[in-house]
Amino acid sequence: MKKNNYLEKLYNSKKPFIIYKVNGGYDLYTDFSKKFFLNNKNINNFFNKIEKIKDKNKFLNMYIGFFGYEILCNLNNIKIPKQKNLRFPKSIFYKPETRIQIRKNITIKSTHKNYDQLFGKKVFNPNKILSPFKINIDINKYKDIFNKFSQKIKEGQTYQIKICTKYKNKSLIDPVNLFWKLMKTNAAPESFMIRDKNFSIVSCSPETLIEKKGNKIKTKPIAGTLRKTYKTNLRTALSFFKNNIKETKEHNMIVDMERSDLSKICKPGSVKLSKIKYVEEYKHLYHYVTKIEGKVKKNINIKGIIVAMMPGGSVIGCPKISTLNLLNLQEKESRNIFTGSFGFIKFNGDMRFNIIIRSILNYKNISEISVASGVVVDSTPIHEFKENYIKAKSLIDLYR
Amino acid sequence: MIYIIDHKDSFTHNIVHQFSKFDKQVECENFNNINIKKLNRADVLVLSPGPGSPINYPETSKIYNKFKKRKKIIGICLGFQQILFNENGKIIKQNKIYHGFQSSVKVTSNDSLFKKNKEFKVGRYHSLKLKEPFFSNNFEITMRCKISNVAMAIENQTDQIYGFQFHPESFLTENGNLLIKKILSA
Repeated sequence: MKKNNYLEKLYNSKKPFIIYKVNGGYDLYTDFSKKFFLNNKNINNFFNKIEKIKDKNKFLNMYIGFFGYEILCNLNNIKIPKQKNLRFPKSIFYKPETRIQIRKNITIKSTHKNYDQLFGKKVFNPNKILSPFKINIDINKYKDIFNKFSQKIKEGQTYQIKICTKYKNKSLIDPVNLFWKLMKTNAAPESFMIRDKNFSIVSCSPETLIEKKGNKIKTKPIAGTLRKTYKTNLRTALSFFKNNIKETKEHNMIVDMERSDLSKICKPGSVKLSKIKYVEEYKHLYHYVTKIEGKVKKNINIKGIIVAMMPGGSVIGCPKISTLNLLNLQEKESRNIFTGSFGFIKFNGDMRFNIIIRSILNYKNISEISVASGVVVDSTPIHEFKENYIKAKSLIDLYR
Repeated sequence: MIYIIDHKDSFTHNIVHQFSKFDKQVECENFNNINIKKLNRADVLVLSPGPGSPINYPETSKIYNKFKKRKKIIGICLGFQQILFNENGKIIKQNKIYHGFQSSVKVTSNDSLFKKNKEFKVGRYHSLKLKEPFFSNNFEITMRCKISNVAMAIENQTDQIYGFQFHPESFLTENGNLLIKKILSA
């Protein structure tokens, strides 16, 4: 990464900012003029206000931030029983005034004239690990949950359900340092980071949940992951997925579910599979992906789109509502941001959102990494437990 | 007008779009939030797929029994089982479960809207199945899984009641639109 005076100063300040991966580089947003803490009471007002804004296409007329898991359940009229939680905000959105495009060259544009002087005091943010990572569910407990959910599958209550495990340590982190370290090994297409005064998030999410421009909307569910070895290539990965009945069935289910979610908000007949069951290659793994798109109906508003699509089905299971209810009865600890969505809403209604997976949340000097993998008819608890660890490991390794 | 009762499934809106190809007016509401006025107006009643077993949805059973013989009724997956359950069929667990599975079915009856011995691929999402033998007045099992022989479709042409254990709206099903078109124009 090229050295840049502005970025150096920003990184060494206390100023909050957000980085979001884009094709060919990164967009960094800062100088937040507004910050919204959303909850069940004010979220409708937040959506309504965006719809009413008149100047829709002015530079940086957007809110960027995240919806946590709980608020997304609540938007779907699903209540979560009392859980252990850190009291981390349910959802935060920011109004940026400065954007830095990090490509081959760096371009800064701001609504402030003196944007390059707004840094405040210089600070040093060290990485400090105060205790080792611990998992919240051990293998025996995991097996119990697994068997319980397998029973639910046999009864037809769910067809696929994802058990979430959480790794936590005590630590102070410099999210900038961790994020760029992570981007060297895994610059996944939906990666992002948030550094705010009292928390930070670092993520290498691979999964696009919503990409909306005008009335065109796309989603790109991932179901199926294969680790790279010296023997694998794109072709062998594709034949692995095609010949693996378990992966194929999981994928099919997610495709039909996402088609249905899009169909809630799209014009009849407009929902199409634009690219079906193909492989995307990353530095350490392959993903089995399908692209689905549609055209949004005229009378659908921003909230309607969010509620139809979130929480993203591929990381929850299917059917979504009954599976969410089963998960919420089981889980004793809040998911916070995990399986929520990060992204932006432009005032003209365009939006981009991911699914928050493969992420670190650091809050109150605790880092937490949540992972989930699926129970379907033919999975085994030991395999899925290990799968969870593999997913967490690349993030845990950043702390070395 | 087509009225679809949704059992809070994640495939229901694929069905809404599929039926919209054949009727301009398709309404869809949750099983626990039925609009009786709309339901009364509908010519066709569709029972959606959904989690669980027919016994979990007494509201839908009531509606089925009320409108049976008065409207054309089509059941899909859970909806298929819902019809059978109300016709004294038993719905039981399967040993082998099919979720997101594509398999071949065959038309096995002479009295079907579809041509006997025709085979095609379909998408399946079901943990439960019909216990056989099953007998009920005017009902005929018209399609079966080619491998396991499990009942995949029922037709009652006298009362215009039809059901599929598989999902005609799935991207895994060949000619799904044709199946629905034939039933709607029957």
